[in-house]
Amino acid sequence: MTTRKIVKPLSCNPLKISQPLGGVLAMQGIYRSMPIIHGAQGCTSFAKTLLTRHYREPIAVQTTALQEMDVIFDADRNLEEALETVLSKHRPDVIGVLSTALTEASGTDYLAKVKKFKRDHSLRDTLVVTSSLPDFRGSLESGYSLMVESIIDGLLEQTERRPGKLIKDQINLLPGSHLTAGDVMELKEIIGSFGFEVITLPDLSTSLSGHLLTGFSPLTRGGVPLDSARQMIRSGLTIAIGSSMERPARRLKNAVGIPYRVFPCVSGLASSDEFFYFLQELSRESIPVRYRWQRESLLDCMLDAQFNYAGVSAIVALEPDHLLSAASWMEEMGVEFKGLVASYETPLLQNLDREIWIGDLDDAEQLAEGADLWISNSHGKSGAKRCGAAFMAMGFPVLDELGAYTSLTAGYRGTMELINKAGNRLIQREENAHESSVCHG
Amino acid sequence: MEAIKKTGFTVDGDSCGKEEPKSKPCPRPKPGEAAGGCSFDGAQITLLPIADAAHLVHGPSACAANSWGTRGSLSSGPQLSSYGFTTDLGENDIIFGGEKKLRESIHYIAKRFTPPAIFVYSTCVSALTGEDIDAVCKQASAELGLAVVPVNSPGFVGSKNLGTRLAGESLFQYVIGTQEPQVISDTAVNLIGEYNIAGETWDIEKLLNQAGIRVHAKITGDGRYKEIAGAHRAKVNMIVCSRALLGLGVKMEKKYGIPYFEGSFYGVKETSYSLRQLAYLLGNREVERRVDHLVEREETRLMRELAPYRKVLKGKKAVLYTGGVKSWSVISALQELGIKVVGVGTNKSTDGDIARIAERVGDDAVYIPEGGSGRILKTVRERKADMVIAGGRNMYMAIKEQIPFVDINQERHTAYAGYEGLLRLAKQVVHVLDNPVWKMVRTTPPWERGSVDDH
Repeated sequence: MTTRKIVKPLSCNPLKISQPLGGVLAMQGIYRSMPIIHGAQGCTSFAKTLLTRHYREPIAVQTTALQEMDVIFDADRNLEEALETVLSKHRPDVIGVLSTALTEASGTDYLAKVKKFKRDHSLRDTLVVTSSLPDFRGSLESGYSLMVESIIDGLLEQTERRPGKLIKDQINLLPGSHLTAGDVMELKEIIGSFGFEVITLPDLSTSLSGHLLTGFSPLTRGGVPLDSARQMIRSGLTIAIGSSMERPARRLKNAVGIPYRVFPCVSGLASSDEFFYFLQELSRESIPVRYRWQRESLLDCMLDAQFNYAGVSAIVALEPDHLLSAASWMEEMGVEFKGLVASYETPLLQNLDREIWIGDLDDAEQLAEGADLWISNSHGKSGAKRCGAAFMAMGFPVLDELGAYTSLTAGYRGTMELINKAGNRLIQREENAHESSVCHG
Repeated sequence: MEAIKKTGFTVDGDSCGKEEPKSKPCPRPKPGEAAGGCSFDGAQITLLPIADAAHLVHGPSACAANSWGTRGSLSSGPQLSSYGFTTDLGENDIIFGGEKKLRESIHYIAKRFTPPAIFVYSTCVSALTGEDIDAVCKQASAELGLAVVPVNSPGFVGSKNLGTRLAGESLFQYVIGTQEPQVISDTAVNLIGEYNIAGETWDIEKLLNQAGIRVHAKITGDGRYKEIAGAHRAKVNMIVCSRALLGLGVKMEKKYGIPYFEGSFYGVKETSYSLRQLAYLLGNREVERRVDHLVEREETRLMRELAPYRKVLKGKKAVLYTGGVKSWSVISALQELGIKVVGVGTNKSTDGDIARIAERVGDDAVYIPEGGSGRILKTVRERKADMVIAGGRNMYMAIKEQIPFVDINQERHTAYAGYEGLLRLAKQVVHVLDNPVWKMVRTTPPWERGSVDDH
């Protein structure tokens, strides 16, 4: 089935978030790194402010601070200056150069500049990668996965594609942008509990989950260290979570032959079952007791919650992978969809056997008439209010809500949390409706 | 007037408190260590509070998408300005031009939302490809019979402050003076540069009403298009904490003969000064009398109510890191609470601002001229400060270092303006400092406490 669009000349209440922001997010999951956005100052400050507010953490990011004259004469002079400054002042392990709509449209040859910079400085310990992330294409999800792809390219180049000895029990985990820092931690634990060593790229669970390392540094304070990331090319398998992460996984396969498995989502009973079963088969170890318990708890939770979910209809507006993931657990609870709205078009969405809209939160509002539940990022709150739907914030950004970045959505436990959380919003809505009918009656 | 001299403002005869903005070129931001927003951001901060207008961003989705719905400016009625509109330029629009799309978007908004005005913002990309938004706006305006205002402040022209100034230009050129207000009061004043963060404009308006002063146009916190279009009929302009909009005051004085002054509502002294100054410029005996009463009553009340907080706060040291004008106005407020300011960010301040900072803190404070969390932390350590008062972007830096933090910028949820606001600020600071969390986070877990020694 193909995707659908509501035709209008503009975007109203955008759902899309820019690609460079996704790229910056990915870079936060690498230890001692610094992304540099090649664009005007605002490109960086908006991304920084939004990420800071969502994660409630300092965010490492710098800018080439392009001004009009720089763009006209030589934008890449700014890039060189920025690289020089970041390198000499902070000595990061990884520098990511992210282009923007401005630099892509003005047609600067930043790739050549970075190449020359690397040659001139004969950089060995510092990995410098570039990623083309114009804002006029894709969204947060694509920016994030493209950045990961670029980092993998950089790692491959640095290690000259010579894997050395294969470590069979070592697994690469490529978590998609829709997973919270709490999810990444959970997935690492799950895979680890089957006896595997896990290398996670990017690893937001150790950088954006709330740490208290004192000693201020403008670089990232957590994430996967470069040394570990280099070991990725010796792993026996890559697990990618979210279809958007297939491309980076394929990169590793094509370059050094590491097989990969993509799990489009790990929320919902069926998806979690598939994930755990796969790990059991792979490791030939039986599923740890705690996960068997968790599965049973989930089943019980689904039984308890089905009263509240009976006849519920919902509107969901998220990034593509996240949308699919949300749809899968909601479908298991019998939720009927008024509309599923994605921020941009991907091949995954075109191949689904259900109707997907590509659009914004205003489209969601048009489709939402009569919906009981509204799931989207915090920007959807007022739309949900206008429709009278219960609102649950998911995706990015979630503002004015504590703990969004550590909440769980993956595995049996994550699915249970989601069902309870949305269920509670529905209960709350019902109570409010009673109250107001009493007041006015 | 005594009140004026007290605060050190120079007053010359025909133009009160006038200070021409110096056209010193802004220093070029340093790539790799620059902080702060762009001109587009500044223009939006200034104009988005006009609650009943539609705000359409002509560019790739990022400029609008990464920033809409994040600012703390409140509206008491219409919510149209909280909608994020963007032409969402794609690759083809950049290659073949997006003017047609812009025109259609303007028509779409006009038809569906029937706003009194549409503000159209240019962005780096639309400026780079040479889109003539002025022409499109003019044409659409004629076709629709509705104000379509171009805002030429693409991000790459400079700093946030410049954007604010350019937004002021747009208001002056296209909005102010285009409509005649129905009611003109003898005591009508415009508030310029007050954005109603956490409802501050409402507090200020209440205060002014008590003194018999009527707020004519709010430029722009909780503002309405129509009142701003008729702003030229006010008797006085007050520039509230915004150096960047001073130019608007100057121009309105030249064109409409409205006297203006620069003031603030942070702290008792500044609030009383502003009230007295308004009364003086209105030249209304009745208002002057009421202001005198109000000031006396409120100051006495406040001194009494502040006493317990001042006891706690006396001698506490703070590092203040905030945008330009706010730095000096907030210093006064803090000093009135007994807090000593030991470090001040001067990154966005003009020479005039710095002179005022110096007047207030003398040689006691370290000036932090430019960017960065590192410098703020260093000052906190060196001067043994008890807290950091800054904007959201530096909040988590301070919190990670377990330094008490008070948010003073546009995303905050507490209103600090006026007499009541100072009381709120005092409470807020005391609550933050008093919180047991600061002690709790310094405890070591039992398994890390040495078994041999004290435990």
